[in-house]
Amino acid sequence: MTHKNIDAALFANMVITGATHLSNNADKIDALNVFPVPDGDTGTNMNLSITSGATEVKKANKDSVSEVANAFAKGLLMGARGNSGVILSQIFRGFAKGLEGKEELDIDSFVTALDSGVNTAYKAVMKPVEGTILTVAKDTAHDAKEIAKQEKDIEIFLEKVVQAAKKSLKRTPDLLPVLKEVGVVDSGGQGLVVIYEGFLAGLKGEEVPQSQDETMDLDDLVNAEHHKLAQDYMSTDDIEFGYCTEFMVRFEEDKLKEQPYDEAKFREELSEHGDSLLVVSDDEIVKVHIHAEYPGDVFNLGQRFGSFISLKVENMREQHSKIVEPQQEKPKVKQPFGVVTVAMGTGLADLLKSLGATVVIQGGQTMNPSTQDIANAITEANAENVIVLPNNKNIVMAAEQAAELAEVNVAVVPTKTIPQGMAAMLSYNPENSLTDNKEAMAEASKHVKTGQITYAVRDTQIDGMTIENGHYMGLADGKIKVTNADQLTVIKSLLTDLIDPDEDEIVTVIRGQESSEEEAQAIIAFIEAEFEDVEIEVHQGDQPIYSYIFSVE
Amino acid sequence: MSIELTTADGHVTITNEVIATIAGGAAIECYGIVGMASKKQLRDGIAEILRKENFSRGVIVRQEGEAVHIDMYIIVSYGTKISEVAHNVQSQVKYNLEKTLGLKINSINIYIQGVRVIQD
Repeated sequence: MTHKNIDAALFANMVITGATHLSNNADKIDALNVFPVPDGDTGTNMNLSITSGATEVKKANKDSVSEVANAFAKGLLMGARGNSGVILSQIFRGFAKGLEGKEELDIDSFVTALDSGVNTAYKAVMKPVEGTILTVAKDTAHDAKEIAKQEKDIEIFLEKVVQAAKKSLKRTPDLLPVLKEVGVVDSGGQGLVVIYEGFLAGLKGEEVPQSQDETMDLDDLVNAEHHKLAQDYMSTDDIEFGYCTEFMVRFEEDKLKEQPYDEAKFREELSEHGDSLLVVSDDEIVKVHIHAEYPGDVFNLGQRFGSFISLKVENMREQHSKIVEPQQEKPKVKQPFGVVTVAMGTGLADLLKSLGATVVIQGGQTMNPSTQDIANAITEANAENVIVLPNNKNIVMAAEQAAELAEVNVAVVPTKTIPQGMAAMLSYNPENSLTDNKEAMAEASKHVKTGQITYAVRDTQIDGMTIENGHYMGLADGKIKVTNADQLTVIKSLLTDLIDPDEDEIVTVIRGQESSEEEAQAIIAFIEAEFEDVEIEVHQGDQPIYSYIFSVE
Repeated sequence: MSIELTTADGHVTITNEVIATIAGGAAIECYGIVGMASKKQLRDGIAEILRKENFSRGVIVRQEGEAVHIDMYIIVSYGTKISEVAHNVQSQVKYNLEKTLGLKINSINIYIQGVRVIQD
């Protein structure tokens, strides 16, 4: 029987068959589940989600496919369980949106609905991971467009769409490394393929798909099982069942008269002998995988039903205790990107390195590195592209000159203070171009306010302020704002000046050589009391001259 | 603040920053999350989406004796089952931290700071 269009009742039947088919395969899908968390619940979750969807469909008005699709989407949303369930609910929410107002489903509207499903599903995630159910949905929708150009019979169209979904599923290990490592296809993707197979069966009026599904073979299941187990074993002594045992038995009529085969009962018997048990059977063959301590006993149980086609036993304790060859060290290759920056004090140097700086030149106020020093550091960075952050207005010139001398590409981001340098480092991304980085880092350095606390070494007049020798000074972005004999007074006044409680979120306190624990605690207490919404970070910078540097953003 | 692990060969120190970065990185790969939000209450009612380098503002690591607790502030996509998305984040973050740092996490508390409607 050929179809041009699918009416609401038929579409409802497709959905319900899809759910039934998934239920029948839920445990196999569970066994495949290694990503994102190898807890073996993907099939269970998808089953609970789609069952809730099918239940809504059964209750729904079946006047139009649009109503059926909306009911399915609603049920999926309410019953969504787990990652795969949430994704499934989004795919079919979009699918229903694509069918809005449609009475019947034809090839064109099917293509539109698949496409709309993918769009909705991808919108609800920040960083889509490819090689998952999302990829399978996307590839299938994409191929469906091509298939629609050639096929006019909707049954043949859907058959080809299911084939496309299976092809995409086979590619998932190429996209997601953990799948390749374990040697399985993605479990959520497998679930979606099963649903589509069910749709097709429902369209043909079959109870469940007739064709045996080759995609979900025992090897995949065994690989997933071993992977989950590998995570449980910390040492060889932990292995309770030492032999990975696999066999295949071809059923024989006369043996079955003696010993009728019942999969559930057989599984029950086998489970007494070990763990990681997998039993897959059809009318002719049963395949078994089990980790057992006495493989012989397991073989005997299998032999009651027929003759062995293949047998395999591996000693897992031997495999587990093998030591991996250490990797050879590689010669130092030129990195694509490096960052050279300037700071005084070991704490600050470590801080900048932790943010990604390659080389930190010791220097700064009263000890400016020369052009040569910076040029040497650029060479030391050993990179194709180098970004230089001077962190001091008196070093910017030298950095510019060093950049001209260098044989590699150098960009100078004219940061004038340590906090500006740190803010610039936060928006540094080695995957972007030198120009993009320079722009982003310069932009980021503008969004931070710098406070510095130091003391006067002589009497002087600056910025209309009278400063006495030995008094403390507070500078906001390089300008003297406050001076007083008492350091804490200066700090409080400077911070009040710098921090805008409505705008600023974070204050970083960098303690210098002269900072004491007591002082630092007093400063933190002050910030907490005055600006309760601001978060405080404290770092030991060990810088000389500036007893405290504050970064406000 | 940092977490100390003692092995037979010495100490391992993991800073909270590291834990926050890994937790945030795992969270944004979770389906249904459209962003990490700052813990701070929002200026004008619009949750600001944090960039990767600022995840630590939306991921708070607390230690109480031996126990490690994590608070995460997230923004989710409208039209998803939010309770389930939150639960997925919990299990995914927990698994990732245990796998990469060998660190047992006692609790992961999710604060939904916003729901984002995405225009079709």
